[in-house]
Parts: sequence; structure tokens; C-alpha cells
Amino acid sequence: MDGADLGDSGLKATMATTLEVLGWEIELAAARSIYLDSVIGRMISLLPEERKAEFVESMHTVDLLSQQLTGLSAFAQRMSGEAPDVNAFVHKALDQISLGALADRMSVALGGAEKGLNDGDGAGDLDLF
Amino acid sequence: MLEGRGQKVIVVDNDRTVLELLQIRLEVVGYHAYIVRTGAQALDLLKHMRPAAMILDANLAETDPYDVLRTIRQRHNDQHFPILMTGRGLTVDDVRRALGHGAQNCMVKPFSGSDAVERIGRLIEAAHQPAPRQVEVSRPVAYV
Repeated sequence: MDGADLGDSGLKATMATTLEVLGWEIELAAARSIYLDSVIGRMISLLPEERKAEFVESMHTVDLLSQQLTGLSAFAQRMSGEAPDVNAFVHKALDQISLGALADRMSVALGGAEKGLNDGDGAGDLDLF
Repeated sequence: MLEGRGQKVIVVDNDRTVLELLQIRLEVVGYHAYIVRTGAQALDLLKHMRPAAMILDANLAETDPYDVLRTIRQRHNDQHFPILMTGRGLTVDDVRRALGHGAQNCMVKPFSGSDAVERIGRLIEAAHQPAPRQVEVSRPVAYV
């Protein structure tokens, strides 16, 4: 993505690019929660009538989560167009992300090198164990 | 939201986040999404399948997207399918160029996944509608 710079002390990116990358990741999280919502919907349809009510509230919560994430994504993406043209170091913030695949995707989108990590079993929370 | 009926949609984008979110969004509403990261992979895929539509990013790392559009129209002129071109900072000239090379519609990044899927649904629907009847206009008609 444009607006990235590998400075002497680490990866730098413009605030506009950083907000856009953040917006895309929130949009992906929203898509995943919509998928989860559809799975719960299918599971509820298989349940006997007397058990459906237990799960309808869960479905409502996931639906609210999807809407919340979609709203946050729209906000971050819109703000990326309003952000001042200034650079910031992003490598320390990326180091805070324990999910390897997420950190890798964001690093690449911010102009860093790709490690090729996927969201498989081996990609997440490696440093916690 | 227009729903897919198992129709195939190819998504070409260098960004893994965009690819995955579009794949999920498309599949939740009933499309089969095929995701690739380069124009060459998209052209390879087209040798084996006929999609209902394609979403093509204008900022591919290794390929000129207009070359991809041109090749598609040369090779698959008999298999018309709509192409939605996406891209950061698309200008009016970019849009004109994309439409001139065979894209049906353009969408500026960043966009919402639901808007992109809605747009692709409308393009597929329009592609399957019968062409409007030609109206005879060579002869003057007077309405009283």
C-alpha cells in the first residue's frame, strides 16, 4: 500500500494508510461475524422448537457485533481520507498483535515484508506458549 | 441484498484481507468465490471455468490490470461476464480507461464488503436480463 516507509528505526506509515489498513481488518472481522451469524442461524433451524429460544439471543448478540464492526470499519475508512499527511512508526504497535497471521497481513499492507502466515492452526498466539 | 445461486465469482486482489472478506461476504449470500492474488492466476483460472462475474483490483503488484482486461476480452469475447474494477484513488480517467477495456463498473477503495457484493449482484442480474428491444427510430412518428 502507498504511504509506507522502512525508516532506520523500523516500519513507518502515514496515518491515512494506517487507518485504512485498520478499516480493512475491522471489515474482515465484520465479515467473519456475519459468517458466524449465518452458521448459528443454520444450527437454530435444526433444533427442536423448545430449544430455539436459547440460541436466538446469541444470534442477536452476534448480529449486534457484526453491525458494530461494520460501523467501526466505515468510521476508520472514512477517517483515513481525513487524516493529516504525517508518518508514524507502526512496528511497535504491530509487535503488540499476538495473532501471527493478522500481524503479517497488516505489516504487508503497511509496506513491510510478507512472511506468508495464514490463519491456520500454526499462525496464532505462538508467543503465548 | 441480492442473493447468489451458486454462481462463480472470481476475486483478484493483492491484499489478503480484502480477498478473505470478499470471499466470506460472497459465500454467505450464496456465491462460490474463487480468490487469486495475481492477474496471471486469474487468467489461468479462466481457462478452466466460466464465472458469472469478476472483481479485479486496479493496483495489482505484478500485473497491469488493463492487460488482464484486454486479454479477457480477447480470449473470452464469446463468454461475456461483468467485471467490477476496484482500486485506491481511481480517477475519472482510470474509470474511463477501465470501461474502455471491458470493465462494467468501478468502485473506489476503501469500500464496504456489503456494498461490493450488492454491486456485483446487480451486475450479474443485469447481465442475465434480455437486451431491451430496439425501437424503430428511422421513420418519423407523430403522436396526436
